[in-house]
Amino acid sequence: MTLDDIIKETNTFYCLECGKCSSICPISRYNPAYSPRVMVEHALLGLEDDLVYNRELFSCLTCDACQPKCPSDVNYPLFIQKMRAIASNNGEHGECAHSGTLQSLTRLVTNPAIKQRRLEWLSDEFHTSDRSDVLFFVGCAPYFEHIFDFETKSIDIIKASLKILNYFGIEPVLLPNERCCGHDMLWTGDVETFKRLAEHNAALISESGVKKIIFSCPECYQTFKENYPNYVKIDCELQHISEFLSEAIEKNEVSFKETKRTVTYHDPCRLGRHMGIYEPPRKVLEAVPGIELVEMKHSKEESLCCGTSAFTNCDLYSKQIRVERLLEAKDTGAETLITSCPKCQIHFRCAMVNKGEEKGPDVEIEVMDMVNLVANALEEKN
Amino acid sequence: MTEAANSPALVIGGGIAGIQASIDLANMGFPVYLVERSPSIGGRMAQLDKTFPTNDCAMCILAPKMNECYRHQNIRVLSYSEVAEVKGELGNFEAKILRKPRYIDETKCTGCGECAQVCPVEVKSEFDQGMGNRKAIYKPFAQAIPNLYVIDKRGTPPCRVACPAGVDIQGYVALISQGKFKEALSLIRQKITLPATVGRVCTHPCETECNRGEVDEPIAIAALKRFVADYELTVGVEEVTPAPRTKDEKVAVIGSGPAGLTAAHDLVLMGYGVTIFEALPVPGGMLAIGIPEYRLPKKVLQTEIEAIQKLGVEIKLNSPVGKNGLTLDDLRQQDHKAIFIAVGAHRSMKLDIPGENLKGVYHGVSFLKDVNLGKKVMVWEKVAVVGGGNVAIDAARTALRLGSREVTILYRRSRQEMPASQEEIAEAEHEGIKIHYLATPVTILGKDRKVVGMKCIRMKLGEPDASGRRRPIPIKDSEFTIDVDMVIPAIGQAPDLAFLPENSSFQVSPRGTFEVDSKSLATAIPGVFAGGDAVLGPASVVQAIATGHRAATAIDNYLQGETLLPEEEPLPTVTIEDIDLTDAEKRNRLVMPTIPSKERLAGFTEVNLGLNQEMAMEEAKRCLNCGVCSGCRECEKVCQAKAINHEMKEEYLNLNVGSIILATGLDFYDISKLGEYGYGRIANVITAIEYERLTSASGPTEGELKRPSDGKIPSNTAFIQCVGCRDFKNKPYCSSVCCMYATKEAILAYEHQPGTKSTIFYMDLRAVGKRFQEYVTRAKEEYNVTYVRGRPGRIEVNPENGNPIIWYEDSTTGETKPFETELVILSQAMTPSGGIERLASILGISLDQHGFAEIPDKLFYPLDTTKPGIFACGYAHSPRDIPDSVVQGSAAAARVAEAVAFRAPSLATGGVYRD
Repeated sequence: MTLDDIIKETNTFYCLECGKCSSICPISRYNPAYSPRVMVEHALLGLEDDLVYNRELFSCLTCDACQPKCPSDVNYPLFIQKMRAIASNNGEHGECAHSGTLQSLTRLVTNPAIKQRRLEWLSDEFHTSDRSDVLFFVGCAPYFEHIFDFETKSIDIIKASLKILNYFGIEPVLLPNERCCGHDMLWTGDVETFKRLAEHNAALISESGVKKIIFSCPECYQTFKENYPNYVKIDCELQHISEFLSEAIEKNEVSFKETKRTVTYHDPCRLGRHMGIYEPPRKVLEAVPGIELVEMKHSKEESLCCGTSAFTNCDLYSKQIRVERLLEAKDTGAETLITSCPKCQIHFRCAMVNKGEEKGPDVEIEVMDMVNLVANALEEKN
Repeated sequence: MTEAANSPALVIGGGIAGIQASIDLANMGFPVYLVERSPSIGGRMAQLDKTFPTNDCAMCILAPKMNECYRHQNIRVLSYSEVAEVKGELGNFEAKILRKPRYIDETKCTGCGECAQVCPVEVKSEFDQGMGNRKAIYKPFAQAIPNLYVIDKRGTPPCRVACPAGVDIQGYVALISQGKFKEALSLIRQKITLPATVGRVCTHPCETECNRGEVDEPIAIAALKRFVADYELTVGVEEVTPAPRTKDEKVAVIGSGPAGLTAAHDLVLMGYGVTIFEALPVPGGMLAIGIPEYRLPKKVLQTEIEAIQKLGVEIKLNSPVGKNGLTLDDLRQQDHKAIFIAVGAHRSMKLDIPGENLKGVYHGVSFLKDVNLGKKVMVWEKVAVVGGGNVAIDAARTALRLGSREVTILYRRSRQEMPASQEEIAEAEHEGIKIHYLATPVTILGKDRKVVGMKCIRMKLGEPDASGRRRPIPIKDSEFTIDVDMVIPAIGQAPDLAFLPENSSFQVSPRGTFEVDSKSLATAIPGVFAGGDAVLGPASVVQAIATGHRAATAIDNYLQGETLLPEEEPLPTVTIEDIDLTDAEKRNRLVMPTIPSKERLAGFTEVNLGLNQEMAMEEAKRCLNCGVCSGCRECEKVCQAKAINHEMKEEYLNLNVGSIILATGLDFYDISKLGEYGYGRIANVITAIEYERLTSASGPTEGELKRPSDGKIPSNTAFIQCVGCRDFKNKPYCSSVCCMYATKEAILAYEHQPGTKSTIFYMDLRAVGKRFQEYVTRAKEEYNVTYVRGRPGRIEVNPENGNPIIWYEDSTTGETKPFETELVILSQAMTPSGGIERLASILGISLDQHGFAEIPDKLFYPLDTTKPGIFACGYAHSPRDIPDSVVQGSAAAARVAEAVAFRAPSLATGGVYRD
């Protein structure tokens, strides 16, 4: 794709340079060098190098706060994604956080001969099967625990999701050689790697014969639903676990025990603005007796991003964005911050770790995935 | 009224374009009809403070035009009217115009405003864009033309609909909120003759339907009624003069309960001779002998009954009908031309279980009657009351006060189905009475012919029965025994019809009540009517009162030989969706003060203490004024021109016109859904039209630019342009006037407070008209206005001072920065007038996708819509400013003149003017 193609495909041509995107952008608020409007201006002026070799090209969170408000309907996140593909072809990958471990891991599993020990955490407590119609896509959670030097609790999300599915009598298929969905690769421009991952996953799923895939990670969910169809064929119904639970609650199929707690809910960018799923997680939380849900100042469409995307360009500004969000959460008076994305949870926990910097505001608050709360509240049906 | 009228043109819309078109045509000698849906012509221009680029006062230049238009001999202005139907074609359109009722006679009203002074209802003013209030009877603005008031009746409030007696509840609550207690009581008395009594005991179905209940809690309507009735006693009751006896006929009323008393009251005021025959030694029926003293002191009831007697109603106590020479026939012989049977339902239903005749079983009705008549009644230590209605609760609470140690109520269904009022149940529990749900007695156990216990069985709820409530079903083998020494059954009542002659022709229902005609309450015997519990079965006081009124009207009709008139169709009920709740803050309902707990059971002192003035007025102010006009009629009392007529109806006018000019103007796009601007969330973010009302000398702040949060006059303002327009996701077009009016408004800010700094965040500066660019330059040079290019996308607020903080991108550096200001004004998108789609379909013309008139030939016939003979001008055509709207108005007049006058001189024949 050339720069001109990108400009056409993403409506960038209609940009009126009004700057509304920059005034909304969370990165722009903190990083004086980053301005979406300036990015687009460079593109319209044909200054391709000023984009491709610009560190800030990889600063965009692709959180989609700008697009719904753009009066000219420019699809800025897609513009960034496509520009990064050009950048990637030119050897630019942004600043990979954690010494590039996550990116290396993702590339490693493109190897067709790779054998993974990704299901070692599985125990008899959880029932899975080879013959179910339903597949549960685990994602990179089993690896996160071993990469970060603080507890990410990512595997707890998987365990809680399985407990929930078992409650409904579903013993899902878990693929022992599942690959990373490739979300980060696509969004940082490495389309080749993404394609290979997609192809591996598509083959494994087709082999398994499942008809429905349930996700607990919004990034995997979005990637399968929106991006995979451009490259591979997956003939399955796709659902995020919050949608699954919301449906079950509607049909009165689930009983909860009283759980007294005030919570607030953080809409992950991929689940919220990207996929439009705002109500199901809220319905699930409000169905648990004793839970009081208090909304943060910016919620649903106005939600603030957790501050980092694709483990790239994670810097001081990312931290400032996280602090803003965590302070908003604490401002609600809630005891627990609930989210439904493993990545958001990792980033929030990271912000709470004292890295020896100067004392900043107190952002300590209990963080938990929606499925953790739900799994603990399930009551045996009579 | 149909006025078949001929004219070359019907102009729809009385804004500046419509006014100009009408005047031009009128000056050419053509008669014109101008239809305007609001009460006054003038349109949006009337709302503006000044106009650009001259900064003329808008009203000063508009009003002479409005006047010229209204007074022109060739223009007939039909204000407060709408186009309902249009048929036909160029040269011969038939238009049906709906004249909405002003409830004010246009020929008599002088616009003096005395009525508005006394109106107790205040709602948001549309003309002031909600920044100020108006009354239910109002003139939209001081210079309104026509200079007439109008009454806003939104519909019937749900409280009134729910009240069986049709009391004007919103009316009296509104009067109380203004401290007009005497007037409130007078309004209540039109329907309730015993307000102090009813205010204490009514089951208040009105409160269940009260729309305020959807915000927080219903208004305490009954308590307010009691308040004004009690208030009268403190300031002195006016002497009651006997009603003049203007008719010969005598009417006999049997029973002095609420139904009988009400009918007697109405009939005596109609001029009849009325005698009530009461079997008991005291008047009042169940009010006297059923309701205990601690709920309704006898003295209160007695005072109200005495007032009825003072009107001329004779009450004969100890006079049961049916014996002692007082049969129905006897009454007839004595010249009572009509009889109203209101004997109530005093016969207790029996439990029909073994042991019912043991000593210690005291049926509820008899128990309460004996206590209320002052007889010495003995109670035992442990009492079980059987039943779930108010009688059961009354009996239980009375037994406690007489000295029982332990009182229990047994009810066969669950709490939800209990018919007793919620307050009574709560009071009973508060006093220590235990309620056993889902239990019913099977046998009363006796020893030495006295009650020693009761065997009961547990129940469960099955399918609903005829009453709609779930049927209680005994649970097998679940019997249990309770230890009691007194049982008070209170499971229902029926009328005692023993007084009826044998072989009477009365029709009696299986429940034991009189069958009557539902409208006239006439029984099978001519001249004999029945009402109250005798017809309804055990019902409420207010239902009985409603039947009393109905019977009196029917009896009057019967005696005068007239037929009963059909009842008036009420206006539709107002639901919560009809009401703008944006400013309704949750407030607590008043709590009725009561006597201290330990004083309650010591005797029969009234438990509820009643309200004081402050409490009553505060509570009354919570009313949402659902119907807007409350029907209190205070306006009528002060209108010297006698112009007010609350019974006015809609009328239609048929016009025959040669052409139609669409000049319906503009409305404002709803930007509250654009969350990024904080409109509705941040107090000091307002829209441009709201700003106009603030700077306008005739506005809610009398021209002082006081910002909403604290009334401070800002020394720093910011304008944000293109809000919701030039936006693919909202309105993609440009509203045309905002660049200029924002400049104007920024200049005005400086004029109001010299030194004020204004910043205008713009996209382009559209200054295309004559001297417009120079105006912008002056703003920069002389009025401290700075223009910053960029569209802000996020507004927050500084919690310490309420200042909005605008996040914008500095296009010179690419940095996103915060900008704190004291007031933000949003130049919101403007759209064609609301309702344009419906009007277009009535006219048979097409609109474009944004609601503007579709113009097939934009170059040579730029005003012609898709239907020949219909021309669009002003904002209905496309976004434009005042001078351009005036130009188009004149142009439309020219089109009409050409189309109708020259090519189709005879209106009737029409004629083709263009191929």
